[in-house]
Amino acid sequence: MDTPDQAALREAVRDFCLKHGGPGAWDRLTGELGLTGLAVPECYGGAGAGLAEVAVAVEETGRVLLPAPYLSTALAGAVLSGGDGASGVAGGEFLPGIASGALRAAFVFGFGSQVTASGGRLTGVARHVLDGAEADLFVVRAGDTLFAVRAADTVVTPSPTLDQTRSQATVAFRDAPAQVVGCAAERAEDLLRVMLAVESAGAAAHCLDVTVGYLKTRAQFGRPIGAFQALRHRCADLAVEVTSARATAYAAVRAASPASPAELAVLAPLAKRYCVDVFWHSAAEMIQLHGGIGFTWEHEAHRYLKRAKTSQLLHGTPAELRRLVGQRAGLC
Amino acid sequence: MNDSQFRAEVRGWLTSALASAEFACLAGKGGTGRAHEFVAERMAWERRLGADGWIGLGWPEADGGRGLPWHRQVIFHEEYARANAPGRVGHIGEQLVAPTLLMFGTAEQKARFLPGIAAGTELWCQGYSEPGAGSDLAGLRTRASVSDGEWHIDGQKIWTSLAHVADWCFLLARTTPGAERHHGLSCLLVPVRQPGIEIRPITQITGTAEFNEVFFDDARTAEENVAGEVGDGWRVALGMLGVERGVSNLGQLIGFQREFSSVLDMARGNGSIGDPDIAARVTDAWIGLQVLRFTTEDALGGGDAAGGVVTGGVASNITKLMWTTWHQRLGELAVDVAGQDATLAGPDYGLTDTQRLFLFARAETIFGGSNEIQRNIVAERGLGLPRG
Repeated sequence: MDTPDQAALREAVRDFCLKHGGPGAWDRLTGELGLTGLAVPECYGGAGAGLAEVAVAVEETGRVLLPAPYLSTALAGAVLSGGDGASGVAGGEFLPGIASGALRAAFVFGFGSQVTASGGRLTGVARHVLDGAEADLFVVRAGDTLFAVRAADTVVTPSPTLDQTRSQATVAFRDAPAQVVGCAAERAEDLLRVMLAVESAGAAAHCLDVTVGYLKTRAQFGRPIGAFQALRHRCADLAVEVTSARATAYAAVRAASPASPAELAVLAPLAKRYCVDVFWHSAAEMIQLHGGIGFTWEHEAHRYLKRAKTSQLLHGTPAELRRLVGQRAGLC
Repeated sequence: MNDSQFRAEVRGWLTSALASAEFACLAGKGGTGRAHEFVAERMAWERRLGADGWIGLGWPEADGGRGLPWHRQVIFHEEYARANAPGRVGHIGEQLVAPTLLMFGTAEQKARFLPGIAAGTELWCQGYSEPGAGSDLAGLRTRASVSDGEWHIDGQKIWTSLAHVADWCFLLARTTPGAERHHGLSCLLVPVRQPGIEIRPITQITGTAEFNEVFFDDARTAEENVAGEVGDGWRVALGMLGVERGVSNLGQLIGFQREFSSVLDMARGNGSIGDPDIAARVTDAWIGLQVLRFTTEDALGGGDAAGGVVTGGVASNITKLMWTTWHQRLGELAVDVAGQDATLAGPDYGLTDTQRLFLFARAETIFGGSNEIQRNIVAERGLGLPRG
């Protein structure tokens, strides 16, 4: 499925995440690997690749729940570049910073936010801004238009979060100077859903991977517990879900090409709903199949459970996204 | 010829063949849960397919096929489904027996059997399951031994599709007395219409019959009619199960889309789409169908490797678990949408398409390796979990 370049990128990111997945990872992630600039045109210091490459990196960083605002920053690079290629209005000013890692970005979308635009300035308060605490730049939806706003022109209040691997903030805009971004707001929001789907597919695969590894080594009743059919079948069901989630996430990535707007409008909420649900189920099963150890703070399982639930509740709940799919596909 | 020209050729042929006086009655007939319909006409249809070169698309040209790559075969199956062409009666010969003979058969066997399959004139059934050997196929007890240059066969097979119309049976039997489990088995090619074979249809929960019991009482076949080596039948039989590459799966999805659309139309027509629970289930069914399509396309493209977690060539097991479960849920949704009307049957237990879908889908999670067996395979081969 990957092109040779994508496969090399995947290997590099996976290797990086295994070795340097700590809080100090940002500089190497951006400097050595240049990952935030994947979708930024070369003239702004990026790699000039596209959303498909961003997706590969998002899946791999999602696998380890990399505690860095990677998804939002790399996607902002794509969105400010006009999606794929052509530079948007606000692009030139911010893209070099995104590509170098100097600027961290976060998205401010409809759910839980009331931000309005007037005369090139934004006013309002947005809650639950993912990756908001460390952001230098906000990409904000006001009406159907997307704006870029410097964090320095806003008041950012970080919130303690259930999922401690991804920050949230409340962001207050008071006549904050804003520049129009040349990407439709709805498209940008759908692209964020696609990337959350991809991230969830990667994280769900990790949950299954770790669980299967545990079932092979943990012995009870004189044999590895993975030999018990009651547990094997649950893993097989997860394998079906994880495999299909990945296929669905990448189908949505392919639909993100500007040539297929109608397809993206349907597949973005569809993929987010399906993949995050699979992630949630995988994380819940990870805890159950690990038994008591899976309930401890030291074990990684709870971080996945919390990330899954957070991803499920933000940027469209399962019920909201189902309604959206039904409407956009012309079903009901 | 490029792919779209090939697609146009297939579509053109199907359109005109299905518009002919002889076959116009066959649109949508003989599919899932309705294998009893128009059997004679579908046998004639098989011969028409064969005469015009549409059987054996993927076989090598030297063996009477057209040597087409798998994506061209997918195109054929997609167009076949789109045209609402009838359920095949020759698919066991074409898609299971022929590939097995191409892999394991002698030159004489290929010369003897492939032309009849390609022409649609010789139909096949597959004798694997027995009353005491379902999921545990290696427990089979049908036995065969050679005497006077012939195999003599005794035993019983069950759930044999198309046995009542087939000319030949691809039979897995124990040929080494006293051997156990997967040892001492052979794959015999047995003519079906002979005094030693009795076929009894099994009436199923739809009130119709599409599977049979097949009784062997000193049935005969020539000594050379063994696919692969004598005693090597387990490997040959598993090879047969493995040859199905899933080229027909995308075609099947077109049929599913058609069924989904009719459920949606019914829900709109009777107003049940206004019920939030029904609306949610309709949307979930549609989402599930898209997920199934993406997963099937990935499986055909060999795309399950990059994820890393699930390996071992279990893509077809994964898609079997998915499509059977999805289809079963669609059948449940369909009768719930139909509502009280779905509780009535017609004269002679005549059923609506909705009721037939609802009932027949219960078979799909059982046949072709029950879903519990599929989960075992995914767990062992796909995830490397230890055997129980």
